[in-house]
Amino acid sequence: MGRWFKSGSPWIWLTGSAVSISLIAVLGLLLLIAWRGLSYFWPATIYQWELQDDNGQPYRLIGEIHDREQVPTDRLKAAGHHFPADTGEFVERFLVKTGNRELVSLDFRWILASDILTRSEPKELAVFERSKNGNFYGEPVAVLQAGTKLETASVEQLLQQRIDHAVALNAQADALQKHDIGAINYQLERLRLQARKYQLNDDYTEAHQTEIAAEQQQYQQQYQQLEQQLFAMREQAGRDAVVVKDMRGELVTLSLDTVLNVTYSNRLSTWQKLLTWGQRVGHFVSDEPREANTEGGVFPAIFGTVFMVLLMAVIVTPFGVIAAVYLHEYAKNGWLTRIIRIAVINLAGVPSIVYGVFGLGFFVYMIGGSIDQLFFPEALPSPTFGSPGMLWSALTLAILTLPVVIVSTEEGLSRIPSSIRQGSLALGATQAETLFRIVLPMASPAIMTGLILAVARAAGEVAPLMLVGVVKLAPNLPLDMNFPYVHLERKFMHLGFHIYDVGFQSPNVEAARPLVYATSFLLVTVIVTLNLTAISVRNYLREKYRSLEN
Amino acid sequence: MMSLDAAHGPSGKVDLRQLTPEQTALEINGLNLHYADKQALFDVSMKIPRKQVTAFIGPSGCGKSTLLRCINRMNDLVDDCRISGEVLLNGHNIYDKSVDVAKLRRNVGMVFQRPNPFPKSIYENVVYGLRLQGMNNRRELDEACERSLRGAAIWDEVKDRLHDNAFGLSGGQQQRLVIARAIAIEPEVLLLDEPTSALDPISTLTIEELITDLKSRFTVVIVTHNMQQAARVSDQTAFMYLGELIEYADTNTIFTTPKKSKTEDYITGRYG
Repeated sequence: MGRWFKSGSPWIWLTGSAVSISLIAVLGLLLLIAWRGLSYFWPATIYQWELQDDNGQPYRLIGEIHDREQVPTDRLKAAGHHFPADTGEFVERFLVKTGNRELVSLDFRWILASDILTRSEPKELAVFERSKNGNFYGEPVAVLQAGTKLETASVEQLLQQRIDHAVALNAQADALQKHDIGAINYQLERLRLQARKYQLNDDYTEAHQTEIAAEQQQYQQQYQQLEQQLFAMREQAGRDAVVVKDMRGELVTLSLDTVLNVTYSNRLSTWQKLLTWGQRVGHFVSDEPREANTEGGVFPAIFGTVFMVLLMAVIVTPFGVIAAVYLHEYAKNGWLTRIIRIAVINLAGVPSIVYGVFGLGFFVYMIGGSIDQLFFPEALPSPTFGSPGMLWSALTLAILTLPVVIVSTEEGLSRIPSSIRQGSLALGATQAETLFRIVLPMASPAIMTGLILAVARAAGEVAPLMLVGVVKLAPNLPLDMNFPYVHLERKFMHLGFHIYDVGFQSPNVEAARPLVYATSFLLVTVIVTLNLTAISVRNYLREKYRSLEN
Repeated sequence: MMSLDAAHGPSGKVDLRQLTPEQTALEINGLNLHYADKQALFDVSMKIPRKQVTAFIGPSGCGKSTLLRCINRMNDLVDDCRISGEVLLNGHNIYDKSVDVAKLRRNVGMVFQRPNPFPKSIYENVVYGLRLQGMNNRRELDEACERSLRGAAIWDEVKDRLHDNAFGLSGGQQQRLVIARAIAIEPEVLLLDEPTSALDPISTLTIEELITDLKSRFTVVIVTHNMQQAARVSDQTAFMYLGELIEYADTNTIFTTPKKSKTEDYITGRYG
């Protein structure tokens, strides 16, 4: 035993197991999030249950199994349920998603295995995904056009056709509303502000008035035309309807303008299910959220996260590199430099919410407020830059990640051999020329390392953003087709905050939970993608300037 | 130039005690150097003749490299370094306040102990100094590159891979590349700080041959701890000991009939 101890093996085992535990923790986390998040999109079997309630009355449920658990019988008895004497210690119960939110008060309910009489998987059941009121489960029996029933051999085919038609029309209408009408609204607002500006300058002459009025008139006309088109399209999309027999056995008419798609889940082969799964994942990452973020996609949040992180990287890199260059290349290594260096390192330990408070007070209120006073007086009292937004979030996170960039850049600078600097100086280069031609290129891998760490930290940061720019639902992306195309003053959505909002602020907890996993998985994926990109750039640079290794 | 060669006489030898201003490339007068509290050079005075090879020898820590680095003001980079006295290049004190250090270093090139190519291609290494001076004409750069590489006796080895990374070269090749880089900007004086100490014997031989070639174009000052090398390549030798210039004469005299006993002790290997 003593010899085994002296041989050093225990140390190897200790270090090895520490590594394995970290590895298992990371993999376990990823697997759990990935499994929970991705299985949400799998088309689940639609069951039809015949049950009896406590009074022995039979009833029927149609839905998907969402969750299952074992409950102690005693607890259920205490809650007023009656069981036969031979019931075991535990009873299984299922959480069933029944949908049809407008007809039943709860679209999720628990059923006890002991209440179930029969369970079947009828092939004719279908699930409708809708833009309002969540899913609808039932058996489609007929398709209506303008109120009259269409005769058809296959309800499924006709239904699919009509839904595609309605979805295409809705997409057109959405595009019209968002881009064309949005652009006109933007122009009208611009005209209003211009008029206000003239008034503020006491320069609102007759000529200006007629000019603006004429333009307004023109836009109003365009607006009305587009609005008519829009209404026509919406009406057209709402022409068709489907009659569905729901779980109570009643026929319900669903207008097709709110239906997004229909899936006969029980008829799908595994391959078709995989296809459906892929489509749903695609919609999740490319669609906008619906129903208070509990349905639909998260595209604006992905866009906001990536855009904000990139903007932050663009701000923090030059800033941090310049500061590090001064500290390392120009500043004398005296007590002041040492204090500054310690202060920089300590900045990395400040809780992020403190940066949020600072950002709100300094950037949003002081700088943003001043910008509004100086450049946008016509919009006051409604703020332009004086309210939380994309720019302030990026700046706040840039300050938050500044220490990381400074420290790793300095490390990179100190690793460049002095012989190479002297070689450059001996050829008649000034210190600045040496810096730009030799030192900074050689330090670029270290700068990238700093950037990678900064991006990893910034992409996961939520707390400060809640103060300086993130909202649960942003009507517009910070990038659009209206001049000046980039709107840094706008608020934005963020995956991290989206997780918090969906998970904890949502009225429908059961519906939101899988989305929390899916969004978390997406956030991790986004961060990993950003990091991998940066790492591959760094590896390229390392290869290019690999002198440091010899 | 013709008259200068004539002054050197048939063998190219000069008389150190009677150097005319035209024959003098560098003149060092009463040079003292302190690193913080420690004095590293004591009242060094000497004249280095033009287009000759001058060697500084002496035991480790004797100040020979420090003296060399005074000639292109590399010691400016060291904090707490104080210098008094003067170094005249063509009669002008290089420590004068009006001197542009970068310009000075273009005139006084330097090659260091270990090869220090930049992490760039061979071509970019050679033309680095020229680009600094604002030369961007591709043809001129190509010509200068070839001329310098030929001058450093490495052209044949690298002509087919000019755009490969310089770190792919061997140590001896890297050192010749660094010499090519230094002579590309056509300096007057070339300072070599123990240029072969990190190299194998064959590379050393190549570099020594190169040094002999270089003196037709440049004034060469070489620091070496290898006495045989000094004897082989140099025309003049200066022996330094503990920061003082002990003896300075033409190489034959130093190695055959040294005047000071310390010089003799060192040359005969009694310390060092």
